[in-house]
Amino acid sequence: MELLGIVICGGAALACALLVILSKNTVHSALWMVGNCLALGVLFLFLNSQFLAILQVIVYAGAIMMFIIYAIMMLNLRVAAETDFRKSLFTGRFVVLFLFIICLLALGLGLSPTALKGGMGKIAMAQFGEVNLIANYIFVQGIAAFELVSVLLTAAVVGAVFLARKD
Amino acid sequence: MNDLIIIPIIKLLVIFGVCMLFITYTTWLERKALGHFQLRYGPMRVGYHGLLQPIADGIKNFFKEEVVPDNADRAVFLLAPVISISLAVMLLAVIPFGDSFTLFGKRIDLYLANPSIGILFILGFATIGSYGTILGGWSSGNKYGYMGGLRASAMIISYELSMAFAVVSIIMVTGSFSLVDMVAAQHHMWNIVREPVAFLVFLISGIAELNRTPFDMPEAESELCCGYNIEYSSMKFSLFFLAEYTHLFVFASLVTTLFLGGWHGPILPGVVWFFVKTFIVIFLCIWIRATIPRLRYDKVMKLEWKFLLPVALANVIATGVVLTLFG
Repeated sequence: MELLGIVICGGAALACALLVILSKNTVHSALWMVGNCLALGVLFLFLNSQFLAILQVIVYAGAIMMFIIYAIMMLNLRVAAETDFRKSLFTGRFVVLFLFIICLLALGLGLSPTALKGGMGKIAMAQFGEVNLIANYIFVQGIAAFELVSVLLTAAVVGAVFLARKD
Repeated sequence: MNDLIIIPIIKLLVIFGVCMLFITYTTWLERKALGHFQLRYGPMRVGYHGLLQPIADGIKNFFKEEVVPDNADRAVFLLAPVISISLAVMLLAVIPFGDSFTLFGKRIDLYLANPSIGILFILGFATIGSYGTILGGWSSGNKYGYMGGLRASAMIISYELSMAFAVVSIIMVTGSFSLVDMVAAQHHMWNIVREPVAFLVFLISGIAELNRTPFDMPEAESELCCGYNIEYSSMKFSLFFLAEYTHLFVFASLVTTLFLGGWHGPILPGVVWFFVKTFIVIFLCIWIRATIPRLRYDKVMKLEWKFLLPVALANVIATGVVLTLFG
């Protein structure tokens, strides 16, 4: 029963993700992405983690996709312009992206609280996904990693603005 | 078997029926009250003082012509009202309407579900529901509708923030995300006494999220004809209309639950108190609509980013300090 649900939701998430790339219309792409986020939220519910599921809905399906749709409507992009991906590949910006991901991984592995690395204890399994447990991991044990990642993300935003400017 | 299927179905039907009746008659109340505020009578012809007017309007909308403009994005155009109404009705599931009571030896709680993340459920799915407004405006292929949708998304992005921060301070005071726990925590003192600033911020940004006057940017008649729903006719328009009033009802019951003590009250049973308080908040919204003129668009944005959001943030910090020192 549970496996069937996971297969259906996973399939829906995959199908939505494919349709995001394949849709010609930008707003349709954004809508399929909302569908993808909702399907991922249901997958979190199967992991018995209500809090993460609702965060997936609020943050991704709600706030971020709302921003993306606002930007699309503001720029009035109805049909996506054809772009040549081969031309834009292997430029400086991809090196920066690669470096960013490496930094993120190093930070995550080096600073994450020890409990997250090893196997989870019985109490942790029972409380998995509960608000208190997540808050404890993020704001008590992993506070250094959390704050450093936020600085790194800010740097990434500044870098993206710099790379995307017209010259 | 009984506990798992039959009782929830009966509760579902009763709650849905009562709420829909309440919402239908909210439309009548709004027209009647606005009429009297403007020294007219409002609906008078159908039934005693127009009491059958909402039903007559519903039947009329069933028989009107369905129009889909040539220019429209057909699939999204048809999807938008469905998103609006279904997600608005979903929110009714987690609202605690009253105290639990015993019937035929069984304990019956007056809510459909009590997830541990109740308030986040409402915040999240209310945002998803507002996609209906935005997509309705975008897909109709009409420039007024388009402007309405654009304004709706800008409003929701902005006012969602201060609303969420007002809720955060309530969560800090209560120590729980569950709406049932929040009502239980207000047994001795209502949250409006503990968190008056959060109440004001929540009320203002809630009215803005509902797209009601003085913040009805997405459907400003004098600027955009009637905004995002301009190309909608017949039942599709009715669905938008009903979704708007369902959101008003959910907002009023949230104000009741978070700030006005929920169903707590002397003498009368809890359900009655809940609906009385909800009615008062809805009447307050109608009163505000009749009193205050529409703000200019840039002033609406300034109010949020330069006033409401800093105030809500300061309130969260102040709540944290007070809880650490005295809590």
